Amino acid sequence: MTTADVTAATTADPMAAGAGVDDPLPRNHRRIFGRHPIGMLFVAPYALFIAVLFAYPLGLAVYMSFHRYIFTAPGVGIARPFVGLQNYRDALGDDAVRRSFLNILIFLVINVPLTVVLSLALASALNSKLRGRSFFRTAYYVPYVTASVAVVGVWLFLFNGSGLVNRVLGSLAPSPSWLINSHWAMPSIAGFVTWKQLGFFILLYLAALQNVPKELYESSSVDGATAWQQFRAVTIPGVRHATSLVTLLAVITGANLFTEPYLLTGGGGPNGASASPVLLMYQFGIEQNRPDVAAAIGVVLVLGVLVLAGIQRLLDRG
Amino acid sequence: MRPATALLITALAASALTACSIVKPVDATKARASRGPIAIWYSNNPQEVQWGNQVVKSWNAAHPGEKASGQQIPTGKTSEAVIQASVIAGTEPCLIYNTSPASVPSFQAIGGLVALDQFPGGRQYIEQRSGSQADQYRSPDGKFYQLPWKSNPVMIFYNKKLFTKAGLDPNHPKLASYADFLATAKRVVSTHAARFAIYPAPSSEFFQSWYDFYSMYAAQSGGVQLIKNGKATFDDAAGRGVANFWRQIYADGLAGKETYSGDPFADGVAAMAIVGPWAIASYQGKVGWGLAPVPTSNGQPSNHTFSDAKNVAMYASCTHRETAWDFLKFSTSQDQDGKFLQATGQMPMRTGVVTTYASYFAKNPAYKTFAKLADGVVEVPNVPGSVRIWQTFRDAWSKSVIFADGSVDATLAATAQSIDQLLVKK
Amino acid sequence: MTAVRTEQVHVDEAEPDADANARPVRAPAWRYVLLGIGAIVFLFPFYYMIIGSFAKRSDGSLKGLIPGALGLTLHNYASINAAIDLPRSLLNSLIFTVGVLIGTLFFGTVAGYALARLNFRGRGLVFASMLLLQTVPFQLLIIPIYVLVARNYGLSDSYLGMIAPFAINSTAVFVFRQYFLQLPKELFEAARIDGASEWRVLWSVAVPMVRPALLTGALLTFIGPWNEFLWPFLITKKQDLQPLAVSLSNYITTASSLAHNPFGTILAGACVLAAPAVLLFVVFQRKFVSSNIGSGVKG
Repeated sequence: MTTADVTAATTADPMAAGAGVDDPLPRNHRRIFGRHPIGMLFVAPYALFIAVLFAYPLGLAVYMSFHRYIFTAPGVGIARPFVGLQNYRDALGDDAVRRSFLNILIFLVINVPLTVVLSLALASALNSKLRGRSFFRTAYYVPYVTASVAVVGVWLFLFNGSGLVNRVLGSLAPSPSWLINSHWAMPSIAGFVTWKQLGFFILLYLAALQNVPKELYESSSVDGATAWQQFRAVTIPGVRHATSLVTLLAVITGANLFTEPYLLTGGGGPNGASASPVLLMYQFGIEQNRPDVAAAIGVVLVLGVLVLAGIQRLLDRG
Repeated sequence: MRPATALLITALAASALTACSIVKPVDATKARASRGPIAIWYSNNPQEVQWGNQVVKSWNAAHPGEKASGQQIPTGKTSEAVIQASVIAGTEPCLIYNTSPASVPSFQAIGGLVALDQFPGGRQYIEQRSGSQADQYRSPDGKFYQLPWKSNPVMIFYNKKLFTKAGLDPNHPKLASYADFLATAKRVVSTHAARFAIYPAPSSEFFQSWYDFYSMYAAQSGGVQLIKNGKATFDDAAGRGVANFWRQIYADGLAGKETYSGDPFADGVAAMAIVGPWAIASYQGKVGWGLAPVPTSNGQPSNHTFSDAKNVAMYASCTHRETAWDFLKFSTSQDQDGKFLQATGQMPMRTGVVTTYASYFAKNPAYKTFAKLADGVVEVPNVPGSVRIWQTFRDAWSKSVIFADGSVDATLAATAQSIDQLLVKK
Repeated sequence: MTAVRTEQVHVDEAEPDADANARPVRAPAWRYVLLGIGAIVFLFPFYYMIIGSFAKRSDGSLKGLIPGALGLTLHNYASINAAIDLPRSLLNSLIFTVGVLIGTLFFGTVAGYALARLNFRGRGLVFASMLLLQTVPFQLLIIPIYVLVARNYGLSDSYLGMIAPFAINSTAVFVFRQYFLQLPKELFEAARIDGASEWRVLWSVAVPMVRPALLTGALLTFIGPWNEFLWPFLITKKQDLQPLAVSLSNYITTASSLAHNPFGTILAGACVLAAPAVLLFVVFQRKFVSSNIGSGVKG
């Protein structure tokens, strides 16, 4: 059993991993439930969990998006007519909703490249025999494991109009101040989220870096390459897979942003400049009892994320 | 077995698990005359909690077979969501002593409320206790789905020490007309007595406009609600006046545009606040405050302002409604209203408050000012979709008044039109 | 023969400092500078948080950076405890989190094993659903789930209701699956030839080999429920059932202005909320090594 086999097993398409799976019977036996029917029993609790607490609510959400739907007290019957695409029209026709999708694009444009660059840089710096390596690693994922609720208070205080950051910046401070400035609100949130999530992505890159074969570095330094050239020619291509994973995860997290706009800008910020689609889903669905429109926004969002993920997959393959 | 069949089986299992329901709807006819233990909720304001505990204890002592149990719920921007979620799940209590009048139309629409008229003498009890004020709380179908309980007439609080520091008279401040108010505010800020003159919350929750806009609109318009006869009313001289006043305040930097965590008036960051008597408890020991009515454009005194009322409603999951009704009457009796006034300083919505509790007001003359306004308070209109209407208003306010984007008059006109359309749709 | 193989699998657990693939040592000055700046930026808000929680007064001035410059007191901690009963909230957070951990570590491990090493009908469907689940935001599903859990199952105001939507963490299942995939198939062939049932194979052979995965999965799973505030907020009304994240969030939005030093009190609560999570990671971070997460990178 060599390293190559292990790599092969894990890099192969997960669906086809069955080819390497142990089989007690000869291959030409046909099985109705598959070679290991007990697998169905093993996976049953999880499958049931997904079916009841994910598939059913998702199905209901999609159903709601095509009907005039409100939730009522138990036993109260009201008409819930099919309305086709009306909810989608209402949602996408609402200025606030359109603005929120634009906000998420702004967020992604700032957050994703920043995340990729910073986490790769810091992971490269961490990837050697360093004194205090554990300390640094811990420092970077402390924000990741801390609740946003806990950390937001400090940030609000720091970035307040009369907070520490503005006092240090003096006349360079933007006016109006960060979180109430319709140009700076979303970038401020992007900065906060990047800071908070970076630890996780640094770990992903660290792992990938350790799998770049040492021989490549050795041979390129024999050839006289500088550190920067090595970085460009060896490191970056070597962690290609990690980069696509980091990008994908950052996009998904960014698109589903809720906690930070909710806590940092109390429901949308100046002029809705920092509202996110999920925040609006919360407002429509829970505060205004219009879950049908909320579901329409959600479906559009999920489709958007799937499209982005699909594009990224294509770029990755090519 | 094909994947489709696997899907089907999982779907069947899932639907079996999702179809059954443990929480069943209540049989209204049976519940109407039934007696037994009940649950009530009240806000988590410490003084109200104290009163709530006392009321529950007195009732339980006298009615051992129909015990009440009290529970506090979080207030603030989340309380409507909390109550609505409970109504949908069927887990709300019999009575909630923190029902916002703005939510009543939507709770009613989803079948969550019990009409109080069905109890013998129900309507009369409400009308007798609250007098003409009760009319504002009747639903479009003519019934009462809420009992008007208490109000917090909104007034201007000012910080006497900061006013003195600014060179203003702390006992007779000039705050009656818009011009006077603006001059006073500018004085406070330019002498650096305080960073801001006044600091209403600038955030976009649907209810924030009740304090800055609606209280002054009520005063200026002589008691007109936001919506009258199915049409928005604020696109008139009074509404424009109030909106332009506030736009000036924000433009001159006299009020803060950022959400402040905490209370800016209590912290001395703002020299004034526009709020009701419930806030007095949080100023105790921190600010020496004085009171003034909200300004009107020419300084003419008005006996109208926003009510900031919270009412009591009976909810559909209540199985012992006869007991709940008796408890409701018990907790809003003259005696209990007096105890409430004593504990919290908030005004019971009862006619003749000033005379009935004269001894209390003799000992607490500041509260008498609030009591005098209590008869003229204006409520949010009881129309379907009111939360959405107020959210639409607030979003437009935020854009044009706070962040000076677009002309105030044009925005008001456009918003009135959108709200009219929302009313028609419902 | 078997002994040789198990040795190879254990390579994963080796100390990272001894990892053969680390960059060769060079003058690491630039690394220290970069990492140092990064560490300061990352830890500064926490430093401010801790200092602020012990301060008597709070203002935005630079004095706030110096411990003790604005007065030293434990009053903020007393104040937050009086407002939200810290021990009870912490206990609720713990029960919620441990419930989710048990669900994930038991049902999730079994499911991950099945997805990795067993071939059965519907496996592809379950795997695809697990991936799709990661892209859908919880807020899209929150109301239907709420109606289901509160109305249909009557689980409002209960720990079970809190735990239900989080019971099995899909990311953890993904990680478990990746680890089980890496195990050599001869291991299982040997066990099966010896006549062991699949259940025995899983618990006696496979699981001991992937202890780092279990720890990683546990740590990843811990963060979610410990820091979650929206769902427990919706599902519980009784204050003595609410976890700390919810109580703190409520406190910030409603009652904080009543405290003597509102900001300091909030920070004290925040420190209490953050401390267990941070401590756990600091203690276990040697095990939570990068090579563990790396398995997710290759897939």
